[in-house]
Amino acid sequence: MNKRFAAAAAAIGGFALTLTACGGGTGAGTAGGGSASSGAAEKVTSIKLVAAEYSKENTAAFWTKFAEAYKAKTGITLEVQVVSWNDIDQQSSTMVQNNNPPDILNLNVYASYAKDDLLWSADDVLSDAVKSDLLPNFVKSGTYEGKMYGMPDLSSARALFYNKDLFAKAGIAAPPKTWDEFVTDAKKISALGDGTVGYAMPLGPEEAQAEYSIWMFNNGGDWKTDGKWSINSPQNVETLKFLKDLSVTQKVTQNNPGKTNRTDGAFALFQSGKAGMVVGFSPLAATLDKDGKVSYGTAAMPTKDGGEPSTYGVTDYLMAFKKPGNQEAVKAFYDLYYSPDQVNTFIKNEGFLPVTQSGLEVFASDTKLTTYLDTLTGAKLTPTDDPGWDRVKLAVQQSIGAAVAPDGDPQAVLDSLQKQAESGS
Amino acid sequence: MTATATGSGAGTSRAGLGVTALWLGPALALIVGVVLYPAVELVRASTSDYSITGLRKGAAGADNYRRVLEHPDLSTVLLNTVVWVAAVLVLSIVISLGLAQLMSKEFFGRRLLRWAVIVPWAASLVITARLFMLLLDYNYGILNQVLLSAGIVDTPVDFLGDDRFTMPSMIGVGTFVTLPFTAYVLLAGLKGIPDDVYEAARMDGASPWQAYTRITLPLLRPALMVATVLNIIYVFNSFPIVYTLNDRNPGFAHDTTITFMYKLAFKSAEKSVGMSAAAGVFNVLLILVVVLAYLRISNWKEATDA
Repeated sequence: MNKRFAAAAAAIGGFALTLTACGGGTGAGTAGGGSASSGAAEKVTSIKLVAAEYSKENTAAFWTKFAEAYKAKTGITLEVQVVSWNDIDQQSSTMVQNNNPPDILNLNVYASYAKDDLLWSADDVLSDAVKSDLLPNFVKSGTYEGKMYGMPDLSSARALFYNKDLFAKAGIAAPPKTWDEFVTDAKKISALGDGTVGYAMPLGPEEAQAEYSIWMFNNGGDWKTDGKWSINSPQNVETLKFLKDLSVTQKVTQNNPGKTNRTDGAFALFQSGKAGMVVGFSPLAATLDKDGKVSYGTAAMPTKDGGEPSTYGVTDYLMAFKKPGNQEAVKAFYDLYYSPDQVNTFIKNEGFLPVTQSGLEVFASDTKLTTYLDTLTGAKLTPTDDPGWDRVKLAVQQSIGAAVAPDGDPQAVLDSLQKQAESGS
Repeated sequence: MTATATGSGAGTSRAGLGVTALWLGPALALIVGVVLYPAVELVRASTSDYSITGLRKGAAGADNYRRVLEHPDLSTVLLNTVVWVAAVLVLSIVISLGLAQLMSKEFFGRRLLRWAVIVPWAASLVITARLFMLLLDYNYGILNQVLLSAGIVDTPVDFLGDDRFTMPSMIGVGTFVTLPFTAYVLLAGLKGIPDDVYEAARMDGASPWQAYTRITLPLLRPALMVATVLNIIYVFNSFPIVYTLNDRNPGFAHDTTITFMYKLAFKSAEKSVGMSAAAGVFNVLLILVVVLAYLRISNWKEATDA
């Protein structure tokens, strides 16, 4: 090999390396990032919040005002960084890797962080008044091994959205209560033609676990039963087969539901008036109201045999990282956040649902939210209190879609998820 | 980094060394900071055991590498990568050869054509990919409406969701964004071929086709090689197009090694920084081997000395 060749090769190699190195977030950091000895360390004068962006209009604006109120109350500076949902996993993971986590992180999971012993528990940073105001099902989902680590920032509950105009055209009087009625109604709507689909079903990677959960819960199934994974229980297999049939046999869904995401897929179809039904939540209602194009109603989910419906609830979390000297500052943060003007303003701005008893009373006056609020206290959540779920959730997102394809095998997919869950926890 | 101290001694050679170091310093610092440091960190991360939160739990030895090699979807991903790189490379070179010819001719509207070719290059890849998502959409895509109204298809084609069409769609978009660079490199190459060679060939009675295959292509070789080598690297490392167009599809069925690496870190059930870093190391080695092999085969020195 001559010199010139070697030089060119080295230059190209370096180039390739640079491009690759830019692609993956890597960094240094060692365990023990959260080793805090409370009291001994000096009190901090500034803490950092990394918050998820629920909406471009409201999130950053809220936290900026909040930081001013926090500074005025405590004298401590609150540094706010708002990150999009797309990037927040990557950013938070990189921060932990670099041994430089924020003081407060807003995310949809927390249990893995609690397991790694990085977090303050509610006993350390939440006043009793605040804790007793939180809704019990969210306290439960925020509790890992007997201690609460994930403080709910807001919640949402799903409901069945239906297009009133399409229902009227198809001659359907009321939203379906059972799966049989659901199939019949969806067929009637699909029969209207012109690209109309009965039900828009998003089982693509964006949020497959949510779509599947709500159907699963309404067939008496769950991810975990009595503390053990029950992903491939007979009811769950039945549920997934039913969803596959909706697409493959009954043909009442949009094309390729396993490869349709929620926001730009199913919601978009419903918003354009092409879908008869979709599982939605209050932010979708806000968008629909703003557009004013689709006349819609909301109803409880149909259950397999007409029993008591249950809804799928979601809460995101504010977790606090143990760092030397930040305990008091974090406690003051939570005290302020859960004061009714703050937490309810935030939730109202973003169009979500309350997480506190006092919030429920405030929101009760809003009749548009009645469908959700009635079900909120009974809403079932995914097992976010199990660190294993953080991994199972990703596996579900990447595989449920394949089960509803024409050649998909619901039983095999759920068996494999069950195996994965059992080996991980 | 230590070579930045200037020699204060009297010897001319030492002073010369100091000056040399001063001139090289910034470049060296850049190489160390931008190339070496990330590379070292990449290898370090690849041999570490990380929690799902990103917390480093200790050394992992070669475990991450083993887990990447044993990954059930690895062969699919590698095959996708080969198809993706080879198809985009060949298509963009072939089309660019024609485009470059056209752009080198004098005609009315040439400036417009040259602008039109370069514009896609100026747009961000993510935005381009998003635009194509809209064009190719099953429900509202313009392409499907055109095909339907022209009677070419009866039902819309799911360009991004149907397994038969996903990769070809990505290749189409990939080629589209690779064309500007390739066409301009080849245009520069064409401009470098002196006219008198063609004139001599015409005098000797060469047909246009002969002139093209015997003169243009051989003299274009340096430009073709530069375009090929750089495109192999660009296309191989291309993230936004594959990721964006494929974001609705679960699993790894249409991923290339670059998006595979990203999903390992943040999206898949593995969610492992260590595994992703190991995949990153493999990526670097892979592209290095491919490029070196290409240079070896095509005899880089001879071509660039010509």
